[in-house]
Amino acid sequence: MRSLLFAVLAAVPLAGFAQSAPYAGKTVTIIVGYKAGGGYDATARLLARHLPKHIPGKPTVIVQNMPGANSMIAANHVYNVAKPDGLTIGTFNRNLPVAQLTKVQGVKYDMTKFAWIGSAASECTILALRSDLPYNSVEDLKKAKQPIVIGATGPGANTYDFPLLLKEFLGLNLKIVTGYQSSADIMLAIERKEVDGRAGSFTSIRPFIDRNLVRPMLRARADEPGVEKLPIDEDLAPNPRAKAIMALRSAPEIVGRPYVMHPNTPPELVKIMREAFASAIDDKDLIAEATKAKMDLNYVGADVAVKVMKEMLSQPKDVVDEFSKYVKFGE
Amino acid sequence: MHKNASLALSLLIMIVSGYGVVAATAWPWKAALFPLVIGVPLFALAAAEALWTLFGAEPASEEARDFQLSIGTDTVHRTLVAAGWIFAFFAAIVLIGFPIAVPLFVFLYLKLQGREGWGISIAITLGTWAVFYGLFDLLLHLPFPAGWLLSWSGFSS
Amino acid sequence: MLEALLEGLVLVLQWKALAFMLLGILLGFWVGLLPGLGGATTLALMLPFVYTMQPVEAFAFLLGMHSVTATTGDITSVLFGVPGEAASAATVLDGYAMAKKGEAGRALGAALASSLVGALVGAVALAAAIPIVRPLVLTFGSPELFMLSLVGLAFISALSSPGGRGMLRGFLAAALGLFLATIGQDPQAGVARYALGTLYLWQGLDLVPVLVGLFAIPEIIDLVVRGTSIAGAVPAGKISHGAFEGVKDTFRHFWLTIRCSLIGTFIGILPGMGGAVAQWMAYGHATHSARTAEERKGFGRGDVRGVLGPGAANNSKEGGALIPTIAFGVPGSTSMAILLGGFFLLGLVPGPDMLSKHLPVTFSMVWTIVIANVITVIACFALLNKLAQLTTVRGALLIPVILVLVFIGSYTSNNHYGDLVVTLLFGAVGYFMVLAGWPRAPLVLGLVIGKIAENNLYISIARYEGAWLTRPVVLVLIAITLAVIVYPLFQARRRAAARA
Repeated sequence: MRSLLFAVLAAVPLAGFAQSAPYAGKTVTIIVGYKAGGGYDATARLLARHLPKHIPGKPTVIVQNMPGANSMIAANHVYNVAKPDGLTIGTFNRNLPVAQLTKVQGVKYDMTKFAWIGSAASECTILALRSDLPYNSVEDLKKAKQPIVIGATGPGANTYDFPLLLKEFLGLNLKIVTGYQSSADIMLAIERKEVDGRAGSFTSIRPFIDRNLVRPMLRARADEPGVEKLPIDEDLAPNPRAKAIMALRSAPEIVGRPYVMHPNTPPELVKIMREAFASAIDDKDLIAEATKAKMDLNYVGADVAVKVMKEMLSQPKDVVDEFSKYVKFGE
Repeated sequence: MHKNASLALSLLIMIVSGYGVVAATAWPWKAALFPLVIGVPLFALAAAEALWTLFGAEPASEEARDFQLSIGTDTVHRTLVAAGWIFAFFAAIVLIGFPIAVPLFVFLYLKLQGREGWGISIAITLGTWAVFYGLFDLLLHLPFPAGWLLSWSGFSS
Repeated sequence: MLEALLEGLVLVLQWKALAFMLLGILLGFWVGLLPGLGGATTLALMLPFVYTMQPVEAFAFLLGMHSVTATTGDITSVLFGVPGEAASAATVLDGYAMAKKGEAGRALGAALASSLVGALVGAVALAAAIPIVRPLVLTFGSPELFMLSLVGLAFISALSSPGGRGMLRGFLAAALGLFLATIGQDPQAGVARYALGTLYLWQGLDLVPVLVGLFAIPEIIDLVVRGTSIAGAVPAGKISHGAFEGVKDTFRHFWLTIRCSLIGTFIGILPGMGGAVAQWMAYGHATHSARTAEERKGFGRGDVRGVLGPGAANNSKEGGALIPTIAFGVPGSTSMAILLGGFFLLGLVPGPDMLSKHLPVTFSMVWTIVIANVITVIACFALLNKLAQLTTVRGALLIPVILVLVFIGSYTSNNHYGDLVVTLLFGAVGYFMVLAGWPRAPLVLGLVIGKIAENNLYISIARYEGAWLTRPVVLVLIAITLAVIVYPLFQARRRAAARA
């Protein structure tokens, strides 16, 4: 009898502890939709190193790579196969909502239904041109006599979609040359003056701005420290329709590094993860590492992410139709 | 044997490139150009090879500068056995997952095909499994899904 | 210049940097050996440890690891016919054939000694090229890259089989490779070509599962059929020495080794060509440098020159690949992209400054490659004859272990069962190609080069329209391509005439 009482007494605080730290002794897996070595992977690995101390119970956090189909394979896995136990987190291509919007074959997820943790960064797309060219403003670009040659990887990548919309809607005199294997190859083409400029995420172009190879000209809506002074494409749009299409293209960039869990994950676990991400991204050790590696992380909350997804996916059909004429799902 | 293999390969390539060319015609020209530019000559080259095999004389010296298969007694039978083991391993991985398939395959191969003793079979199985588990699972965190059989029967949790 | 060269050496020779380099070498050794571990993945995994290191230590660690990976990848290729890295598949052809003949030690000796020569030549070429590096890289625009890929294809296709029939099969295999390279989402219209309704094929065929299937599966089947050890018919005593013979071979064919090293460096310098191309180009050159059909006969059957060429290119390309990364901040491969992350950690912005103001740091990297290779090769030599003994182990003991490595190696490229299916399919294709007497090399090079060729052709046309055909370097490369194709035919005709 007494031992039973002891057992009960001992169990009470334990149960209470288990309640407050459901992650104690567990392993959390972050599934990255790309191979090791890219930006999404680097961000996930950085977070995996610093997350544990911000999650009550200090679980182990590991990273697994599940590449393929521009991370659609990984998204389908987290949505359909992974268990809703809060132990599997997915981080995918920010353009996945575009695949859902344009009804790409193979989409087996609904971006609005994921249990959103948030985004670890916003990624602003900019257009940058060689510094030795005489263009200083958007007006100069419109009036350019020679077409300005823009190097790009291919449809679906911001290197292509962003300048394409600029050309179509703002009337910039651009000639887009696609087929470069990576943004690094475009950079080299800029060096040898094969092309005049490129679009891409500010983070990836910044080192080349710093050494004055290229000059930033124009940016998309998503905010990021360092781009404040550039004109925004949407503000220059000639009509509401053009503005809507541009906004639709750039919306995913606000949620630049999305982190989600299975739709049926218990809300208390989702809450723990959101708080953990928010405080991990403010962690000064993490910031020190990120700064060294030239990565800019800033937490974008789940509410913002869900709002962006819902807005994107509730566009009227005619807007979607026109949008899919220009923008395809990729990278 | 050489002739048949060559013929089979050429026919296979003709079918694949034929399908490829037909499928490509449905795409925008920029996507279709390269598959067409390569697919059509590929079909022609394969057809030439097939005709040459059927009607041409094959001089003995015309061999690729590449690996040569050994010909011994019982070659066909043993080749089928080898292919069978390879395929069985693949099937085991899909059905019961890497973590079980790896030691099972190693052990069964050593015991049944190699007719090795218990001691050495168990030692090699354990060694292989230890490297597999330690390196790829513990250290690299590769996602090894549970096999289909296990997921269906609900054992994978 | 000389001062910077010495300063760079001093940087590397600090004891901590050296210690980290040794650690990197030890890791890289295993990464290269195991087909399941790729250099890029491991670099990404190791990056966190770099945060706590000093700049030069970090580079010694990462580069030491990276350059050794390329060297030891050849060991698996020679011993088991399983390419340890995507970039070491060319060594399988003659290296494994030598192992079958009981010359594994000699093949390994040749592979490592030529690697060392390659690393040295690469480093010297790099140092010598630093003043002209920018113009050199900038001369090779998209049109030149397109033509260069054609030259490579012509080399391999025209020479991988003898005679007119052989040439037909060479081009057939190359065309098949090019065709298979079109699988996946295309960069012009965004169409998922030949994806067969799967998501797996969106990104195209991955090189590793294809290579592993194409090369390892036929070799494994053959080993089962023979029912012996790899060097079955050879008396055991003969195998335990021979590594030194391989070193001598390297000096017997010294100029070939040097030339292949230069090819490797050159391909390495060109961003976008990739490591796998360098080895095959060198292999093509090695066959081509054998003038007569008689001399060429041994290739694919265990000619040591077929090991020396790829071995030399394998390491010299690493020195070359550093160039675009350093001089322009533009990485030539995934591994280099990860190394670039290392630059940022150093607080260095890669760019022209690296060739002037920070020249000692650049040279310290060159030195790292050289020293890491010297250490590896010397350390390996103690092991080589022991490793060669593996070819005398009963096949039944080796086969299951090799098969596990093959399947895991292929699976790690995408962590998807599709990788295994690709390996099996290409295993079957490879087996039938070998059975039918078709060469596999052109297929691989076609597959590797297909995307490069298509993309650069589109860029050339979109950017320059017809005018790209008149660029001087392009014209030279066109002439070389034609010569490579026509010369063997001409030779065959002359031989036939002489016989008549």
